[in-house]
Amino acid sequence: MALTGARALPRPFLSPIGWLALVAGLAVGAPLLGVALAAFGTETADIASRDIARYALTSAWLALLVGGATALSGTAAAWLVVMHRFPGREIFAWALALPLAMPAFALAYGYSDLFDVAGPLRMWLRGSVGVDLPFEMRTVGGAAFILSAAFYPYVYLAMRATFLNQSTNVLEAGRMLGCTGTSALWRVALPMARPALAAGVALAMMETLADYGAVRFLSVQTLTTGVVRAWSVYGSTVSAARFALPLLLAAAVLLWLERASRVGRSHESGRARWRPVEPTQLPLTRAWLASVFCFTLLFAGLILPLAWLTWNLAGTDADWARLGQALSNSLSLGAVGALVTVALATMLALGTRELPIAARVASLGYATPGAVMAIGLLAPASVIWGLAPGSGATIALVLLVLAYAARLMAAALEPIDAGLERVTPSMIQAARTLGRGETRAALEVQLPMARGAMLTAALIVFIDVLKELPATLILRPFDFDTLAVIASNYALDERLGQAGLPSIMIVVLSLPAVIWLSRRIAAARPGA
Amino acid sequence: MSAAPILEIRDATRRFAGKLAVDHASLSLAAGRVAALLGPSGCGKSTLLRMIAGLEGIDGGAIHVRGAPVSAPDTFVAPEQRGVGLVFQDNALFPHLDVQANVAFGIAHLPRTERNARVAMMLSRLHIEHLAAAWPHMLSGGEQQRVAIARAMAREPSLLLLDEPFSGLDGDLRERVRQSLMDDLRLAGATVLVVTHDPAEAMMIADDLVLMDGGRVLQCGSPRDCYEMPVSAVAARLLGEAIVMPVTATAGVALTPFGPITGRGTSNGPADLVIRPEALELAATGVRARVEEVRFSGQSFRLSIMLGDVSIAMRVHGEPPQVGDEVCLALTPGRAILVARQG
Repeated sequence: MALTGARALPRPFLSPIGWLALVAGLAVGAPLLGVALAAFGTETADIASRDIARYALTSAWLALLVGGATALSGTAAAWLVVMHRFPGREIFAWALALPLAMPAFALAYGYSDLFDVAGPLRMWLRGSVGVDLPFEMRTVGGAAFILSAAFYPYVYLAMRATFLNQSTNVLEAGRMLGCTGTSALWRVALPMARPALAAGVALAMMETLADYGAVRFLSVQTLTTGVVRAWSVYGSTVSAARFALPLLLAAAVLLWLERASRVGRSHESGRARWRPVEPTQLPLTRAWLASVFCFTLLFAGLILPLAWLTWNLAGTDADWARLGQALSNSLSLGAVGALVTVALATMLALGTRELPIAARVASLGYATPGAVMAIGLLAPASVIWGLAPGSGATIALVLLVLAYAARLMAAALEPIDAGLERVTPSMIQAARTLGRGETRAALEVQLPMARGAMLTAALIVFIDVLKELPATLILRPFDFDTLAVIASNYALDERLGQAGLPSIMIVVLSLPAVIWLSRRIAAARPGA
Repeated sequence: MSAAPILEIRDATRRFAGKLAVDHASLSLAAGRVAALLGPSGCGKSTLLRMIAGLEGIDGGAIHVRGAPVSAPDTFVAPEQRGVGLVFQDNALFPHLDVQANVAFGIAHLPRTERNARVAMMLSRLHIEHLAAAWPHMLSGGEQQRVAIARAMAREPSLLLLDEPFSGLDGDLRERVRQSLMDDLRLAGATVLVVTHDPAEAMMIADDLVLMDGGRVLQCGSPRDCYEMPVSAVAARLLGEAIVMPVTATAGVALTPFGPITGRGTSNGPADLVIRPEALELAATGVRARVEEVRFSGQSFRLSIMLGDVSIAMRVHGEPPQVGDEVCLALTPGRAILVARQG
């Protein structure tokens, strides 16, 4: 065997680790392929392509509004928290990420009830002050507000990390060259943070496109509600897939945007001379304004809707038996989903060097709405159901976990990748010269070193599975409820009081995990 | 050298994207010897080291360890099966394992009592018993290196490879660490191949020197032979300052300003006269030359002197001549080497 030109060690086509990565890549790729194939079917429902265009326009409009709003609020909050001192800064640093524990649909329930035309707030305002609020929640604008309040943490976390990474030296160089504090933001810090901004905004827009629970409740017709409706009302997988195709395309575009922005990662200044940013004290008035701004974000994204839902609980009967069953279903799905996803993501992370395409497919999966994933899995599912009719419920659950994994693989992959980056090539080579084969070197060096990162990944997946709605609605076995499904069913029956309890249970379950994650991210420093 | 060599490399060749990184390199290393592989960065010495370890393939030639082929175009023994230890430039300790567990990593196949005994022995041999329970991030650079060496030696490899082992340390510390570490390795009877780009270091630690440049092995031999009897101007410069004067040889003899000098293996054609600066002295009589420049460098003065139409550099202690002075140069007999000119 000649080795001309090959830099790597002689090896077969794929090592065992490479094969595992291939399997993980296929797990994500299968539903995507399923959607594309399904869209070419002929049994379409009676949905005009004009409808698809209208829904697509609403989706695009909504994504742009949310993108803009999260970019502004997330960046401002991150800049304030990293670069300045003001009352409550240490708490806001991690607390601003907490709305991630709040499902977007729960925000929608809270806000639409609070600001309902016939709700107590407006009644009181009209009666005592004689004015009516000039906005309405069940509109594209209202949905944009709610989704921005839910998704600004994605931008905040990305920008915060990147501002922390910027070295004081670079900012001071800007100051020496004539920038004031604020113009240092515009001329130095922001241009350097552009990759992170693009990544954070792309994420918020992907989540917006993927949202089902909130927009469905607010009666805003987007492509994702179209996917679910085409399937659940008209029973047409083909039509659902046709709604899904533009979503896939948008996902690919957003992903490309995010990737293209990463090319600028070299904007980060060298580690060796990195000096932590020293925040400056804001003068009194401005310091309090900063606190009010941060508190408003937290208030809008978590405190107000949560408080309103809790307030509304009074006087509603709870079906505890049903809730208990749903709680146990949610927890088991979350645990199994986290386990499977992290296992697949780890396989993928270990094999990326050999099979970079697999990681790219995985990130496309993350950009893909859960509803689309579910539709993509329906076609293979119907084949299996046809072959083994008795196994319906089990197969459905397996597919549901697969949909979660496909959807969340990239979210789990990112921390694991970062964890594995700590393993230098020479550590792996050292393991080789110390008598380990390739696979055992991975098991004994790479995996143990990525343990913390795998826990982080598992928590991220767990939280997202708890909040997941569209894929669960489509793929769940008959009569199998999760907390999110129950909340959605009650809410659509206009029983908001009862919808509140499962929503609050989701928040209570995910809040500790979000706090832990957020504090962990807040404590992380380069070189630490 | 009667015993078979531990390491035998014949015509080892490695290409990256068509470019020769290692070009027909040959060398051999006997048991218990310490060899230094010296060359400028990018000369292929690290690639050759990785080829010996099995972390890099081979495009031509062969590498034998203890007489058995480990690398050849049709043979490849995996790195974990070669019985070769490698200590990385960054030490590559496993941060999730403490010092004992790092050292025990390569001998997991041994029964526990034997394993523990071996670890204890390695730690004491390298004088780091007190660090057994420490974690890698708590150690200084020198301590990390000792752990990395103990870890590699615990497997009792036929051959220990060190990649730029002292590059992370500087000054005084570097010298002390180097001295005591090499003493410990010699006591252990290890066969060692060290890659370095520091000529003083290479000459200090090595029994055998291997000079590399442009992917080729230029010269192998004792440090003193390599220094005093270089095979080419390039080889001479690898080990320190050298005055190189172009001359023409006829029948193995060249007429030089210092008189006729006989070369080794040179017959006719262009040749280089190679002289170490310390072999030249200012004297009352000798070859006449003119001082072009005088610079003070602490211990000595550095002179640039025009000898005919060649500028040469030399050092003098004591009072230096003035710029423009005519001086006389005396050559220590036997210290001017005539070599064939290359390329």
